[in-house]
Amino acid sequence: MPLYECNEHQFVENIRRLLESKEKFLVNRKMTLHDDAKYGPATMPDYEFKRYEIICTRKSVNSTVYAKVPFIDTFHHNRMYEEGENLHSSSALRFPRMSVPYYRVEYSVNVWGGTYFFPFDALFNPEVVIEKKKNGKRFGKEGVLIHVLRYNPPEERVLAINLPKEVMVFDVKQMVRVIDHSSNF
Amino acid sequence: MEDIYNTDLITQHTTNFYTRKTKKVFVQEKRGEQKLKSISVLVPFEKVQSSLSEIGFLLDDTVTIVADGKFWTKMLYSRDNETISVSEEIGDVYPKDPIITICGSKMTISKVVKSIGG
Repeated sequence: MPLYECNEHQFVENIRRLLESKEKFLVNRKMTLHDDAKYGPATMPDYEFKRYEIICTRKSVNSTVYAKVPFIDTFHHNRMYEEGENLHSSSALRFPRMSVPYYRVEYSVNVWGGTYFFPFDALFNPEVVIEKKKNGKRFGKEGVLIHVLRYNPPEERVLAINLPKEVMVFDVKQMVRVIDHSSNF
Repeated sequence: MEDIYNTDLITQHTTNFYTRKTKKVFVQEKRGEQKLKSISVLVPFEKVQSSLSEIGFLLDDTVTIVADGKFWTKMLYSRDNETISVSEEIGDVYPKDPIITICGSKMTISKVVKSIGG
């Protein structure tokens, strides 16, 4: 079964053509959470990196990123980063120490034995706040003010490809296997 | 003769009744009908944004996505039950051609296409 990758424009236009042809079809959607260090602060474009500038610094894209202030990453079990700590090294761009979680979204449609799919990753939105943290050896009973990094998942409505009501979208976990009946003939 | 006349009359009335009713339903369906369209044009995002706000679409939400190995900002605009998403590549890249996906009425689609010079 051939598998064809489309971009957003191609995928939507293909759906429109199918709708106009009155062809019956089903759109599948797979949405999975990943935190596999695929995205780190060094490789982000400046526009996206600006959202992290309160807590980290870098010279330019693909330069080493350092923590500007001590902060806690709540998404990764309250991991603590020290001031000046290397968060994403320019010599190890594929292995960031500070990883950005994301949703892997895959839309696909099967027609005439072929699968046409549009995949994309949606990054979680960073939110940096200052909070008073108490307890533990580090903060003591009085507590201290510290920067806290939170990752908020993007809303489903902004991840969805908005399709007319007559298009049925099925959520799937994974396509496990393809049964090829052609060998029976 | 009289019977035939009467039958015709009844048929005529019945036909008219059904025609009117069907037309009404058809018009209602047409009003709520949603169409799909995706456009990719070499138009600055600012122009797209102003065109959308002119026809009453408001920014609902944004997300950063990575597709085709590039970073994009995906913006969702909505008006009643119609939605338009605009995906624009992040950074100083050339050519910059935002992808506009419209799920709305035929009129909305033609308005957007006209306003951005598509």
